[in-house]
Amino acid sequence: MAVAQPVGVYEREDLLTGCQAVAEGIRLANVDVISAYPIRPYTEVMDAISKIIADGKLVAEYIVADSEHSQFEIVKHAASVGARAFAGSSGTGWMYGFEALVVTATDRLPVLFLVGNRALDDPGAFGVEHNDALAIRDMGWLLCWVATAQEALEHVLLGYRIAEDKRVMMPMALAMDGAFLTHSQHIVRIPSQEAVNRFLPPFDLAERRLHPDNPVSIAPQVNEDWVMEIRRQNWEAARRARGVIVQAYEEFNQVFGERYKPPYYFEEFMTDDAEVVLIGMGTVAMPARTAVRRLREQGHRVGYVNLRWFRPFPSVELRESLRRFKAVGVVDRDFAHGSPDDGGVLLHEIRSCLYPARERPAVVNFITGLGGRDVSIQDAIRMFEITQEAARKERLDGFVTWVGVRE
Amino acid sequence: MIKRVEINYRGIFQKNLAKKIGGDIVMIAARMGQVGFSNGRYSDAPERNGIPCKYFAFVSPDLSEEELEAECGAKLDIDEANISVVLDDTMVKGVEPWAWHGVRPINEKVVPYGHMLIVSRRRPEELVRFMARKPYPYYLALLEGDASFAGLWVYRDDLTHERVLGAIAALDPQLLSIEAVKGYLWDKTHEEHRVEAAQKAFESVRHNIHEVTPLQGIDWPYEIPKLPKWHEFSEGVVVKAVPREFHLGPKGQSRNQLFKRGTTKSQRPVVRFDLCTKCTLCWLECPDQCFDPTPDGYYDIDYEYCVGCGKCAEVCPVQECIVMVDELAFEDNRSPWEHWKRDPEGYVRWAEEKKGKHRVLPNVVTGTGERVVEVEPVPVGGKPKPAARAGA
Repeated sequence: MAVAQPVGVYEREDLLTGCQAVAEGIRLANVDVISAYPIRPYTEVMDAISKIIADGKLVAEYIVADSEHSQFEIVKHAASVGARAFAGSSGTGWMYGFEALVVTATDRLPVLFLVGNRALDDPGAFGVEHNDALAIRDMGWLLCWVATAQEALEHVLLGYRIAEDKRVMMPMALAMDGAFLTHSQHIVRIPSQEAVNRFLPPFDLAERRLHPDNPVSIAPQVNEDWVMEIRRQNWEAARRARGVIVQAYEEFNQVFGERYKPPYYFEEFMTDDAEVVLIGMGTVAMPARTAVRRLREQGHRVGYVNLRWFRPFPSVELRESLRRFKAVGVVDRDFAHGSPDDGGVLLHEIRSCLYPARERPAVVNFITGLGGRDVSIQDAIRMFEITQEAARKERLDGFVTWVGVRE
Repeated sequence: MIKRVEINYRGIFQKNLAKKIGGDIVMIAARMGQVGFSNGRYSDAPERNGIPCKYFAFVSPDLSEEELEAECGAKLDIDEANISVVLDDTMVKGVEPWAWHGVRPINEKVVPYGHMLIVSRRRPEELVRFMARKPYPYYLALLEGDASFAGLWVYRDDLTHERVLGAIAALDPQLLSIEAVKGYLWDKTHEEHRVEAAQKAFESVRHNIHEVTPLQGIDWPYEIPKLPKWHEFSEGVVVKAVPREFHLGPKGQSRNQLFKRGTTKSQRPVVRFDLCTKCTLCWLECPDQCFDPTPDGYYDIDYEYCVGCGKCAEVCPVQECIVMVDELAFEDNRSPWEHWKRDPEGYVRWAEEKKGKHRVLPNVVTGTGERVVEVEPVPVGGKPKPAARAGA
């Protein structure tokens, strides 16, 4: 994105994988505690951070755990004493630590996690699929997908800024497509520490901080007489997060130049006069954008919407945007077997979000790219064609197509 | 316009080298005002010794980074390569990263009039005789040198990296100019010998480019597997196993016909059966069960399955009995034991000719170099002597 940046905001350019870009973000965020347990594709970020520490560029506790469950517990406890903490995982490793993940949200500890998206085994599949990160969607987490290495670095900073905001205090999962982003080397502009310090204030848990000078007990036993009120608090925080996210991007733009455009939660590509759009998350944007360019050369009015934030879900903004189109094709790199219409997770979220709109576009669904299967430019063109058929009412609303499966 | 560079490398031994080359192509192209990015073929799992893997670099002089990524980013493999680098010349025999890929020709992706750049000390015809015939002409460029092998965590700094960059500049100056390569290496390291290595490779490769015509090469003997449709295989991820069978003699043990892994090796063990003491160690220690017991108490080798790990040569207690030899010295995978039984003296002459007189002995501490010693062949009827051990 060619935009003017204030002088001195970026220190240098370097060739980094998506995981290495996250590690640079961790260095710049001056994270105090990192816990690690290997699983591909997340492993590369733990390698990169340990190298940064070994090179003397970051002073932090780096704890290699005996499993993901311990790994996630470690950062939860570290955060409770006021440490800025980082962990991450992928696929079934992420699922193995689930118990620790859900209580981190209840305890409102703003740890940042990287989820390098990976298929849920069997059989040893390590390609990208979004079901791993999506599993956290109902648990009181912030959940956001990045699509480039530059965005990955920047969303570490944005992530801590949003999660640690006093109005939010929720854990944050930064999801990133395995392989296509975690392991792809790109030239990344690395911000200066001075600029980062202007944007990201130190983590302050204030009166909730566990310390001998501040005797508190965190998460004592509660029963039926408390849980509902606790959930109600969490809901309030999740609601407040919506405003904080917008504010954080605005502040980010003030420091780093116009990097992100409103409504921030998602990004639109060639949608101005579009009749039909696809919407998806992560690197499926790559073939989809090329497909948009090619179809537009032939006179088709198509566009692409890249959804960045899944939790909180941008219901109002997305409803406002999508209702402009005749048909929307929802691209799911996940599955939800037995769910309504046997569609994907994103389909259900988007249809539900659109339901209150007075004029609704037809919505069709694509299940594709599972387990790291390529989504080709040709696949994307086919998805546009089917969505155009829905716009002409030749397809029923809710029509689900598997794209890329051998059949 | 998009330029696609493919770097074929061997798992573990060349993983860091390939990634460095891919990354530096992007950095140097960026100095020339182009955009680019680099990634590996993610499905490869290059943590397996010697497995054929790929790294890629994508460069464009006129597209935006966003457009380039959109075209090339979220893909597992490339459709075509303008330059296909081969970091170990034994890969010309074919590459099989996983069972379901099949044994593929090394030049599968090279475009018409594109370049294969192979690190090798062999002559072009010695390589082309193993490679698949293409329906169109392309160029074979040779960068003289040995395959640079290191460990997963160790980068072997033998200037192969700099030399490959210089060689690419010789093949396509619009992709990388030699000035940009040298400028980059100097700015990054301030070491003159790195710049010189790139320059020398640039000069030598310019005079070592050979057109390969559609008449050259072989009809590819391997079938590419056709993957089943979703309703054509068992539910619950259950696959039929290979029934266990055994008889004495060549190929007497049942093996998986769908994944032979032979393309993993850059060297193969050559056995002097006449020196063998039937100690059983090669058969016991082989991690891939490539040794077949024979009726007369020897151990034949199924080279189709041998990955060239060298364990047998390492454990063999007899001097000169099992020696690892460059894979390109061999045309086929026939049974060495049958060859020996048919013509004992001819086999020994053949084996010694393949082995040559020089033996490379790695130092005990990894990465600290190796020694080359000259040996006298043990004559037929010679007494087996104990093998010298590394460091002894």
